[in-house]
Amino acid sequence: MNDEQLYTVVGGRGTMTVFEIYIKTTPERLWEAITDGEMRKKYSFGVGTVSDWTAGSEYRSAVPGIVEIASGENVEVDPPRRLVQTFTAQWSEDVKREGTSRVTWEIEPVGDSCRLAVTHDQLGEGANSELYGGWPMILSGLKTLLESGELLDTPGSLRFSGAGDSAS
Amino acid sequence: MDEVFKALADPTRRGLLDELLVQDGQTLSALVERAPMSRFGVMKHLKVLEEAGLVTTRRRGREKLHFLNPVPIQLIHERWVSKYAEPWASALSRLKNEIEEDQR
Repeated sequence: MNDEQLYTVVGGRGTMTVFEIYIKTTPERLWEAITDGEMRKKYSFGVGTVSDWTAGSEYRSAVPGIVEIASGENVEVDPPRRLVQTFTAQWSEDVKREGTSRVTWEIEPVGDSCRLAVTHDQLGEGANSELYGGWPMILSGLKTLLESGELLDTPGSLRFSGAGDSAS
Repeated sequence: MDEVFKALADPTRRGLLDELLVQDGQTLSALVERAPMSRFGVMKHLKVLEEAGLVTTRRRGREKLHFLNPVPIQLIHERWVSKYAEPWASALSRLKNEIEEDQR
């Protein structure tokens, strides 16, 4: 797959946002960090994601018993390169009204690093920026986790982590 | 990180980022229309922004769309600002929780 194909918007409509980051890691480790529920908690505001990661399967991002964040379907699952998901936010009544959008994760090896692109599209016109506003912090937390093995200690980055531990 | 600061050290390039902040995913032609400079000038500045990772592009049909990528700026924020913001953010989220508790 060449660069041109990888970054062509397929069926793009509505508002679209793109977030890119370079992370010094392998595509396999990066894929694991995206799809492993426990690793995911460490850079996603303490929120875990549960799924069996097969095409057509469902996923759920939540701190069980505390807060539901999002759910959707894994439309395309091509490890360790590409994951396409539908995204229905659930953390407030406002974001629930925004309906279903689409999140595409693309991993491209570049030298000894990977370029990770997260494209959040099929958002309604003038979509609530809460829907996609968390991506910069999530991606930089993911970089910190993979490159240093440490947790990102920034405002909100571990917001639900204490709650999650006490609930489990 | 040098490239990010170099890219941001120019008012025209900051202006292009402002344009994308207002309306993300613009074509080169759309950006040229509102910029006080030639098509070539805008292309040159966009290239610097792309190399710094502040602008990223996607193809849609025959169009090439430009998007603001805020992640490099987030990394700068985390390096120097997050330490100071932490107590404020946690105080705010505590306040939010208390207000929501009261409303229940």
